[in-house]
Amino acid sequence: MPLLEMKQITKAFSGVYANENVDLSVEAGEIHALLGENGAGKTTLMNILFGIYQADRGEIYYQGKKVEFLSPRDAIDQGIGMVHQHFSLVRKMTVLDNIILGLESRASVLDRKSAAARIRELADKYGLSVNPESRVSELSVGEQQRVEILKVLYRNVNLLILDEPTGVLTPQETEKFFDILRKLKAEGHGIIIITHRLAEIMAISDRVTILRDGKAVSRLVTAGTTPEELSAHMIGRELKKDTSQREGFQPEEMLSLKDVSLSKKRRKKKSLSHVSLGVHKGEILGIAGVEGNGQKELAEVITGIRKNYKGTMTWRGENLAGISVKERFRKGISYISDDRHNDSLIMDMTVTDNIILRDFDCSPYSRWGVLDHKKAEERAGKALENFKIKTSGTSGIRTLVKLMSGGNQQKVILAREITDQAGLIVASQPTRGLDIGATEFVHQELLKQKSQGKSVVLISADLDELLSLSDRIAVMFAGKIVGILDRAEADVFKIGLLMGGVTGEEAAVAERKEAAEPEAARPENARASAEKQETVGPDGCRNQPAAAGGQSRKGGDVA
Amino acid sequence: MLEQIFTMTFMTAFLAAAVRMAVPLAYAGMGELIAEKSGILNIGMEGVMLAGAFFSFAGAFFTGSILLGLVCGVVGGVAVSMIHAVLSIRLARDQSVSGISLNIFALGVTSFLYKLMSSGDSYKQIEPLSRLRIPALADIPLVGSALFEQDIMTYVLYFLVVGIAWFYAKTSMGLSFAAIGENPRAADAAGIPVHRYQYVAMVLNGVLGGIGGAYLVLVQVGNFTENMTSGRGYIALAAVILGRYMPGGILAASFLFGAANALQIRLQAVGVPLPPQALAMLPYVITLVALLTSIGKNQKPEALSRPYVRGAR
Amino acid sequence: MKENRRERIVENVCIAVITLVTATVLVILSGASPLEACQMFFRGIFGNLNGFGEVFVKATPLILTGLGCSVAFRTGFFNIGAEGQFYMGALTSTWVVLNLTGVPGPLRIVLAILTGFVTGGLWALIAAMMKARFDISEIIVTIMLNYIGINLLGIAVRTFLMDPAGSIPQSAKLDASATLVRFLKPTRIHTGIFLALAAVVFIWFLMEKTTVGYEIRAVGFNQRGAACNGISVVKNIILSAALSGGLAGVAGAVEVLGVQRKLLEGISGGCGYTAILISLLAVNRPFGVLVTAILFAALSVGANSMQRQMGIPAAIVDFLIGMIVLLILGRELFWRRAARKEGK
Repeated sequence: MPLLEMKQITKAFSGVYANENVDLSVEAGEIHALLGENGAGKTTLMNILFGIYQADRGEIYYQGKKVEFLSPRDAIDQGIGMVHQHFSLVRKMTVLDNIILGLESRASVLDRKSAAARIRELADKYGLSVNPESRVSELSVGEQQRVEILKVLYRNVNLLILDEPTGVLTPQETEKFFDILRKLKAEGHGIIIITHRLAEIMAISDRVTILRDGKAVSRLVTAGTTPEELSAHMIGRELKKDTSQREGFQPEEMLSLKDVSLSKKRRKKKSLSHVSLGVHKGEILGIAGVEGNGQKELAEVITGIRKNYKGTMTWRGENLAGISVKERFRKGISYISDDRHNDSLIMDMTVTDNIILRDFDCSPYSRWGVLDHKKAEERAGKALENFKIKTSGTSGIRTLVKLMSGGNQQKVILAREITDQAGLIVASQPTRGLDIGATEFVHQELLKQKSQGKSVVLISADLDELLSLSDRIAVMFAGKIVGILDRAEADVFKIGLLMGGVTGEEAAVAERKEAAEPEAARPENARASAEKQETVGPDGCRNQPAAAGGQSRKGGDVA
Repeated sequence: MLEQIFTMTFMTAFLAAAVRMAVPLAYAGMGELIAEKSGILNIGMEGVMLAGAFFSFAGAFFTGSILLGLVCGVVGGVAVSMIHAVLSIRLARDQSVSGISLNIFALGVTSFLYKLMSSGDSYKQIEPLSRLRIPALADIPLVGSALFEQDIMTYVLYFLVVGIAWFYAKTSMGLSFAAIGENPRAADAAGIPVHRYQYVAMVLNGVLGGIGGAYLVLVQVGNFTENMTSGRGYIALAAVILGRYMPGGILAASFLFGAANALQIRLQAVGVPLPPQALAMLPYVITLVALLTSIGKNQKPEALSRPYVRGAR
Repeated sequence: MKENRRERIVENVCIAVITLVTATVLVILSGASPLEACQMFFRGIFGNLNGFGEVFVKATPLILTGLGCSVAFRTGFFNIGAEGQFYMGALTSTWVVLNLTGVPGPLRIVLAILTGFVTGGLWALIAAMMKARFDISEIIVTIMLNYIGINLLGIAVRTFLMDPAGSIPQSAKLDASATLVRFLKPTRIHTGIFLALAAVVFIWFLMEKTTVGYEIRAVGFNQRGAACNGISVVKNIILSAALSGGLAGVAGAVEVLGVQRKLLEGISGGCGYTAILISLLAVNRPFGVLVTAILFAALSVGANSMQRQMGIPAAIVDFLIGMIVLLILGRELFWRRAARKEGK
């Protein structure tokens, strides 16, 4: 008798099927992988199992009994635990309080002492070392994950659901994490692991269920399959291999960071510590690292969103100290943020309004502070065409951005940020949450910019993406650049070690090599700064020949 | 001049008045604390208090019983806070908008009903709650009568403050009620019924806010006037911030605001040559200054006034 | 889309029916006949020129304060201090008119209104600075400033602005040359209404057609996004708060110069709070504010007539308006499937 059986599960959100007649069965003492691309319906299925959503149709059998979970509480009571992709911990509380949270619904007095003892015991048994007294806000991501697992184990679960558990871990941390899973499996726990990483599935799982477009397309025994077969099932079509040539790299250094540090608010810890980097003309510099090791801060220091940095940063030979976000954009520094909903877009505004977000106060969109909607719409219309942006519905450029798909939202950002005048594109996780088509589009666009002699800083958690696009890859750990690898010498193993903060011999060599490079590039700086005059208009705005050129003005301002 | 004002008699009377002025703020502050810890910001506390004041007055006036008056006040307070609960929990509305609208609505309702009640007849008054002197303790010089020669509602407050502090620090349910205001998704994942607990918190918010308003009528003055809370609901919100979201802190902050109020009343009674308005301004000015001192230490629950919709991110 | 529209209509009908039923009940509770009350209500508004004029007299400060609130709400600055800003505007403009007697009348009016704008703006600025600098809730601060403003006016009319010839707490009468002209006698309609109308057009143009308005809107929708794209959040919050307070201050000045022609306590008639509801109902749209303000003014004129003639408390209007706003906030409750918003 399987531990868990889900039969014919169907769930639709506003008419679109997230799950359609999905079957899943898990044995006790089995690690069962749930594989699928973003949006294939893995998380929805698990949320149904955990009582966060209710299925529209279908049945769930747990330990042989038919069950119906109306809330996570019901699932927990039956012995099912889930570790979410985004941790659900209360930052202000201690590890201990997080673990015992919600265990007793009556107003009973807490026995923190014996709870702490039990947590220590569990931690020792499975090798999950954390101090029960520390506050969650002070823990590293890896430690937080251990707390999540302890939380689940503390509740005596038989079935453990892990949603993308390794996304935030280094390859080495992942290996340790797998040891824990093997111990749990040996104890007879059933484990469902959601992932899209093929290597991990091969390493840890017993069986695989593959979801595609909300349907379970196949069930395989891991030992009898290959990564290639899994991939074929998951994607369902041949991937276009990246064959483009690595051209365009020029020795001229455009952006240079020397000893840049950034302190955390009200804390002594640094989120960036003595970062020195050079980005060359026509180069894509990849930034690898486990999330939260200073990549976002690096992007925000370069684009000017974070201001109180120490050290020097120059762009085309000009010191960037005290130069605002707006001025930096006009000097050619563009930004594609990893958090497009909050950082890059105003979701409640139209496509047009978002397209002109960077230069609404510049000619030709503004004259004496009055907006020229017609000019703005012309540009938006061009953007729709050039970037093949599809707006849902009939409103076209007047569609509110929040009504569009993630891929099209990202294209709106690309259309705004990648202008002829852009010299440097800081792209942070630019393909996160996008489907394959949109991802491909973003990759091609970045390569095109490179070939046109622009510089790109590409921050990504996806090592394959970094390896296929970058000329060099810098690895960040704890706010530092721990190594810079050339494309030729970089591989997943080396990067993985650096991501975990291990600076081996090879890494050191790469670093020394990098340190020598800027010297060679320096004489070029003078030429670079002369060039900047060409791209910045007399009013300090980026010129927009596409919208300004040749269009008649007779319409006046039409709302 | 100053010696005349700050005599022992003056100080004793002043402290006693300060405590009496602080009690309604502290009740409302506790109610607001419970709501905010669960993630619901009730700007409508002013309306809750006003409803508590009016309905306790009407109840006490028509039944002749202070206890029944208090019950009516509590019911009135809960009614107002439940409107806020439905709008902000079930419909996920902007909590500031809902709260402000509620205050204006409560002002309109109580003014209208009070006018109906008082039309024709003369001034209406009830006999306020009498004091209960605790022997021995009340004889402590200076603070004795301030703390232990008060009405029973004040004594209940002492226990309430300790009880709430204990509840959040030591019980598993207290942990749950605090967690839903910090990270409702985590609480949900831990099996805590977020919305149900928020409703419970809002009922308590109404009960305590209603008592706070009723206290103004049943203990302090014995009658009702239009808009008689005159900003106390907002001052209670300030007390929560100033008290760093701790029951004891809120009690202390309430006492500060109560003292400001008592001071202006005492100074007016002594006959300080200033326009009464200059003194009446005092509690509000003190509130502003106090808010400025609370900066930097943000103890606000992280999910405060952010509606929780399961599954949404 | 079509279904949405039908739902909206049903909701509005529901709200109208509930309001009418409640109004009837309240009138009966007041011991009056609903039909007669209804008659009195409309006679108060349309019965004679004076009453009709009074609608626009009352609407003038409501339009200005309502616009003020709407501008602040656009950046997410919840200014509920229009009341205090109104009082400060009234106070300082009175001072200007009474003290700068050497300045010719029309110029003094301009100066007085400008002063009202500046002080109202400054009053709001205190709250804006405290919010921008220290993240202190503007709601609490503006409310406190309301009470402080009210008391400051109380002090003023008892001390330096008190009419030396009288004994009640109010200022001397302003000289006629420095008041706004009542151009449609016998009504009290004064030229301030044109100022209010001009303000509506100005704010509409500012918000929809200029870069200033674009920035304010962007900040209101998404502060973080605005900041990441080079739009200053602090600057725009402060700007919108000051503009908002300024408009309320102008309302105070206009009320003194056009209607009361002297400074006295309670001069706002609570319009700073009504303004919040007006702005909410008009979803911060300038022309919506115009229409709603006139509607509210008419309601209040009609209610006053009911109070005078039949003893129905005029607070019935506040009761009903508050209820309508809450019903609109809770409109989804009319549908059984309410609020089961499903995220993905």
